[in-house]
Amino acid sequence: MAEGALNYDPSKNYDDQTCAQQRDIEKAIADEQPLVSDILSFDELKTEYQDDEIFKLKIDDLKGRYKHMRKTRGDGNCFFRAFGFAYLEQLLNNNTDFPRFKEIASKSKDELVALGFPQFTIEDFHETFMEVIEKVEKKCTNEEFYQLYTDQGISDYFVVYLRLIVSGHLQKEEDFFIHFVEGGRTVKEFCNQEVEPMHKESDHIHITALTAALGVNIRVEYMDRGDTPKCNQHDFPDGSRPSVYLLYRPSHYDILYP
Amino acid sequence: MASMEKRLQKELLALTKDPPVGVKVNTDAITKNLAEWTVDLEGAPGTVFEGENFQLQFKFGSRYPFDSPQVMFIGPNIPLHPHVYSNGHICLSILTDDWSPALSVQSVCLSVVSMLSSCKEKKRPPDNALYVKTCSKNPKKTRWWYHDDSV
Repeated sequence: MAEGALNYDPSKNYDDQTCAQQRDIEKAIADEQPLVSDILSFDELKTEYQDDEIFKLKIDDLKGRYKHMRKTRGDGNCFFRAFGFAYLEQLLNNNTDFPRFKEIASKSKDELVALGFPQFTIEDFHETFMEVIEKVEKKCTNEEFYQLYTDQGISDYFVVYLRLIVSGHLQKEEDFFIHFVEGGRTVKEFCNQEVEPMHKESDHIHITALTAALGVNIRVEYMDRGDTPKCNQHDFPDGSRPSVYLLYRPSHYDILYP
Repeated sequence: MASMEKRLQKELLALTKDPPVGVKVNTDAITKNLAEWTVDLEGAPGTVFEGENFQLQFKFGSRYPFDSPQVMFIGPNIPLHPHVYSNGHICLSILTDDWSPALSVQSVCLSVVSMLSSCKEKKRPPDNALYVKTCSKNPKKTRWWYHDDSV
């Protein structure tokens, strides 16, 4: 077998196999990882890093400052999924920020249409987005909220809309964000390729734009390979008082509870 | 799935009521089977495809609009274009990697028309012969390598 694998036959189609393998991987992730997990302790997180002294130290650092966490599915949408869950769950428990947020959410559709997004596709996503928000407004139980937000159809609609909000904000503030776009692309091209499609991972630029568009501040705890025993924090925007706390491990975001 | 049908109904209505220039959907055929559309495209005036007519076929899976539609040229006239293979497959990034659920049949048609319109020289992709011999019937199963956005 191994020998055969090295012989590239140009008259054969390898793409089918590669695509099938890709689908298998995606299915395995979907089967093993819930969109948003139950509450987990940091000791449970530690079991992933049995032989990793640096990461164990960093988890202890988190343990001293946070109560617990939730994991999100590693499907490239984790930043948006984690943010949406963490923020709405918070509004469910304390609605002081609700009227401000709802107004921004309601108005956002017209702003996107004004920016040139087609009304009839935007409408669908906005409708579902508002339905979820209104459930929170009506004070559904935490369990009902969890069920709603982890319904794949509804959750994906919610993620799409957050992606559109980020795209809209980047394009609106094009003159500023053009300095952070890599690869000689325009802001619009960047949005078409790295923001609007599902499963594309999020970077600083996405977080900065979402924070600014919704007026919700985020603290990210970075748990990386650096040999300091503590996680690095970054607040979006700089110097703000965070209301959503996320944990970043290379290529992935989860939710933290202070 | 209901959300796929609801979405396609909406798109069909919008496209029938207010079609972009050079794009025509065959509504009667579609209402029989919402998961498969044929769209007529006209080569834009002033381009190398002026006066030519093409047919695009769309197939939608139950996860549309999360999954991209399968889109290819069908019929007697496959445009002679560096990104269009002689079997009708199209190398266009929004059909796979850069697909977003916020895109639509209309935006795909506009991108295809724009791709055709920017063509200066009518020719097949350099790897056409090998590709059409070995490729899957479904263009979405091809791992496209996107390059050269200028044509």
